[in-house]
Amino acid sequence: MFRNDRVLTDKSQRDALLSAHLSVQYGNKPPVLRGVQLDIQHGEVLGLIGQSGSGKSTLAMAILGLIDRKRVDAQGSIFFEGSDLLTLREAALRSLRGRKIALVLQSPLSSLNPALKIRTQLRETWRAHASGSSADCDSTIRKALESVSLPSDDDFLRKYPAQMSVGQAQRVLIAMAVVHRPALLIADEATSALDVITQAEILKLFRELNQNFGMAILYISHDLASVAGICDRVAILHQGEIVEFGNTQKVLTSPSHEYTQRLLAAMPRMPQASFAAKAAAR
Amino acid sequence: MSFWRRVACAVLLLVVAVSLGASSLAPAGYAKQDREAAGAPPSHAHWLGTDEIGRDRFARVLYGTRISLFLAPAAALISTLLAALVGGLAGYLGGAWARAAMAITDLFLSLPWLFLLITVRALLPLNVSPAFSVLVTFLILGLLGWTAAARVLCATGGSLRNTDFVRQARASGIRGTRLFWIHVLPNMKPVLYAQFWISIPAFILSEANLGILGLGVAEPLPSWGSLLKELEGLVSVGEEPWKFVPLLLLVIVVTSFQLVLSKQDEVAA
Repeated sequence: MFRNDRVLTDKSQRDALLSAHLSVQYGNKPPVLRGVQLDIQHGEVLGLIGQSGSGKSTLAMAILGLIDRKRVDAQGSIFFEGSDLLTLREAALRSLRGRKIALVLQSPLSSLNPALKIRTQLRETWRAHASGSSADCDSTIRKALESVSLPSDDDFLRKYPAQMSVGQAQRVLIAMAVVHRPALLIADEATSALDVITQAEILKLFRELNQNFGMAILYISHDLASVAGICDRVAILHQGEIVEFGNTQKVLTSPSHEYTQRLLAAMPRMPQASFAAKAAAR
Repeated sequence: MSFWRRVACAVLLLVVAVSLGASSLAPAGYAKQDREAAGAPPSHAHWLGTDEIGRDRFARVLYGTRISLFLAPAAALISTLLAALVGGLAGYLGGAWARAAMAITDLFLSLPWLFLLITVRALLPLNVSPAFSVLVTFLILGLLGWTAAARVLCATGGSLRNTDFVRQARASGIRGTRLFWIHVLPNMKPVLYAQFWISIPAFILSEANLGILGLGVAEPLPSWGSLLKELEGLVSVGEEPWKFVPLLLLVIVVTSFQLVLSKQDEVAA
């Protein structure tokens, strides 16, 4: 069941790349998202923080139109470039997926098809929204690989996902996501499965993609440090509701909601700071 | 590869090679009748003797092996493709598609396999040319033998539907049909291979069963089934032991397949 009960009044929301006002419920279970209201401006990096089960991925899937419409009751609206995504037909949604809105999932090795070579996977992504010669396709996918600092030679393109490191696999996923230069990139826990050094490299890559191509990024994470490092604004999602939303520095340095305060207090500290805290406690 | 698996592979290769060389090894052919030597025991001219109308049994075993051994994989290919299409696709689509496909599959599985084969074959014309009888026999095997494999592939398709790489491909805007053929089907390969190889010995035995009942490959073309039919009138095992050669060959080939397949099962698991 889909219903459009959204009235756009605020100017920033009208001008936004994406503006959502959404409630999602699976059958008779308690709602996963309850009146979530957020907007993503052109070219900004918006962080979405929440613990596991808070509804972060459901929001991402709803934006992409990948929630099962028969089983899920989604009410409200998701306006993207003037169209309400909740009212679009599957064919229209499919033409947006990958071309205008792209996704990068958490686990790079399981998100790449183990049975297909990297070249095939990139070509498939290109062919989903483009037509042309193999040379055009190869040229585009090589550029995409170069934009994420990966080799674009034939040896690399012949590799299977199992023959790559996790960091390389994540870069390939990002390359697939940016093949069509989407206006919005959704990174769903895209750095959570990575070690800290690879995580820093991928964050730097996201920042470059944002700055070089003006690509807006919805950066979904439960890692406050990475959100602080990359996001312009941040939304805190707790039990299906946005409890705090605003400038990243403001939200993370002077949180107003009790849940945000708890999140910040639970954030792991550097050893030196921990030692100092222990000494002070004694 | 274990010693016994290597032996099994060598045996299968040898049987295939010998059956391919049937025209050189048994130049008399499978249909030529030597009325002077009807029902003769093994001799220099007829290594395995002759049947009741004087046809060289060795030639018939070689040509029968060729027919059984080459058409069983063809039937296995048909059944595996059908299983992939019906079971794999329904499992991938899920919901009502999967339930409907599994209801049909269960209906087929609830019928005894051999009786189903006999009934369907008996419903079709029996007085057909030998070449057509070969086609009909193995087409029936292929068209009716997909159900067990479909069940396995339905479960495989269902589990692949919820994988991250399929979700990622959908998020890239790849269409449903292309998603199945290019992204899902290649991941069913280990199961498809295993089902294909498992079906071959089952179909060889099924063809032999139909042949014994006179519903398999039509005369004068030989097959393991029609050769085994000779054992019907045998009074004692020791009387004409050379008549057991087709049976022995069938046992050796099916056992060899099972030994080779133990590896395929591991791959599918």
